[in-house]
Amino acid sequence: MRKTEGIASIYNSYVNDLYTYALYLGFEKEIIMDAIHDVFCKIAADEKALHDVSNVKFYLFRSLKNRLYDIYKSDRGHVNLHTIESQELPFNILVTVEDKFISKEEQQQIENQIAEMLNSLTERQREVVYLRYVQEYDYQQISQLLNISVHGCRKLLSKAMLNLREKYGSLILLFLLS
Amino acid sequence: MSNYTHYTHFLKDKHFIRWQLTPNKELDIQWHDFIQKNPSSLKALNEAIDYLRTTGLNNNTFSKIEREKLLNEIQLTIARNSKKRKIRKIIQLSVASCAAIALIVIGSTLFQKQNSTTAPEQELIVGSLLSNEDIKLITGKESLSFQNDVQVEFDKDGTAKVIQGDNAKRETVKLAKSEQNTLIVPYGKRSTLTLSDGSKVWLNSGSVLEFPAQFTDKNREIRLASGEMYIEVAPDKRRSFYVHTSNFNVKVYGTKFNISAYSESVSAVVLVEGSVSLKSKNNNEVFINPYEQAVYKESGAFETQKVDVNQFISWKDGYVIFEDTPISDVLKYISRYYNLSFDYKDTNLQKRTCTGKIYLFENLDKVMTTIATLSSTTYKKNGNQIFITREANKKH
Repeated sequence: MRKTEGIASIYNSYVNDLYTYALYLGFEKEIIMDAIHDVFCKIAADEKALHDVSNVKFYLFRSLKNRLYDIYKSDRGHVNLHTIESQELPFNILVTVEDKFISKEEQQQIENQIAEMLNSLTERQREVVYLRYVQEYDYQQISQLLNISVHGCRKLLSKAMLNLREKYGSLILLFLLS
Repeated sequence: MSNYTHYTHFLKDKHFIRWQLTPNKELDIQWHDFIQKNPSSLKALNEAIDYLRTTGLNNNTFSKIEREKLLNEIQLTIARNSKKRKIRKIIQLSVASCAAIALIVIGSTLFQKQNSTTAPEQELIVGSLLSNEDIKLITGKESLSFQNDVQVEFDKDGTAKVIQGDNAKRETVKLAKSEQNTLIVPYGKRSTLTLSDGSKVWLNSGSVLEFPAQFTDKNREIRLASGEMYIEVAPDKRRSFYVHTSNFNVKVYGTKFNISAYSESVSAVVLVEGSVSLKSKNNNEVFINPYEQAVYKESGAFETQKVDVNQFISWKDGYVIFEDTPISDVLKYISRYYNLSFDYKDTNLQKRTCTGKIYLFENLDKVMTTIATLSSTTYKKNGNQIFITREANKKH
């Protein structure tokens, strides 16, 4: 009984983060629910996993990505992916701005602008930015999630930085002048 | 830039977004300088940082219902898997101690031979079809009887319509308004009932429900004197809905649930949606969540646990699900539904279990054949008598 309660509290803490990550990787809700189901059943079966793993959230992210990748490989025909040709999973971030003090139009405008900035990055750069900035993972963890080296991970992030500076960096001037 | 007073001002600033997405020392210093020059914007800046990370880029959530449903499925699978693991452990253990047991068995069979002349093990269950009773609707001083399953519908103004039989043969009876009504559904019959507030009730076999033609302005109260019902309560914020049973009262907060109060079985409530509280005679109160079952104990307390809801409410859709259920419990269920009586006290077949889905066809033969298949027994019918025996030995 105690174990399932533990599962419930872990589930409630992280399920929306897991859902968001899977959604950004281009999977449909039904498939995501199945994958999350499998991930939690796997941890429960492997009691050690929860004791050994210092960062439960990261463990869940990694298990989920592995599970999704398996689904993607075995079931390509059924999965509705945004980019079918590429070998790698897509990564698209959904921007939401909702505030009652500004108009719908203005909200839309902000969303579009942030989305435009994110779209100037490659999919992998976007994923690194998301994992680093939103989920606050370190390079070591990100490299495991992306299955690349720590060095490759740093390189992706500095490329992302350069990209944004090239396209939007000129604003610094305006900023400093004002 | 000192007019950055609201967090959305920052969200509009591409420079801010760039800093947040890909921070570095240079940008950190610039923004640090900015806030020193414009300290009044600090609150808005912190809000913007928070908002972008938590909501702006990470705002995808399951609905409450989806989230609860998925958790429930996970917990069921976990429970099922751990059961399997236990069985596996037992098998492993028994393999290990096999040799020892073999020796003991050889030893004891030598002694047992002398006693084996006693009566052969009884492997027979005998059942009989009981005479059919009618469904009764008692309104005021009047009493109406129906041979077939009925649908009773009460309007807002408290007048009732009774539809008998299936769609092919419809017969509508209009009823005059009456304050208190009783619907009696005997064993072998089922009914549905729409109350004047629009709440929908499914009554299972062997149930007695008391309800008013119209509810008062204060409360909506009905009483399940015995039996089982599934109810979808129409939401009404002004008037609470209560279901009374002989053991406890259920207070409803707009919801779907199943309540079982047969005198010969345990009383229990299973919640599908919403929220209810149960209060027993000695004032024990318990709240239950969706996918939970509360079982009433003789002490007056309740025991709650997570359950597969479908197992408890599928009867309203015409089928039942059994999982490792002893055949005695299966037959108890079937006998209520079809008004039969089984004698299974002195039989070894009692230990058999049933796992699977049984459709509650009108044709009892079909149902009994399914039960026989699921529990590896043979079924025979002779007049009003039903015989269940061990599966006939297949010819070699």
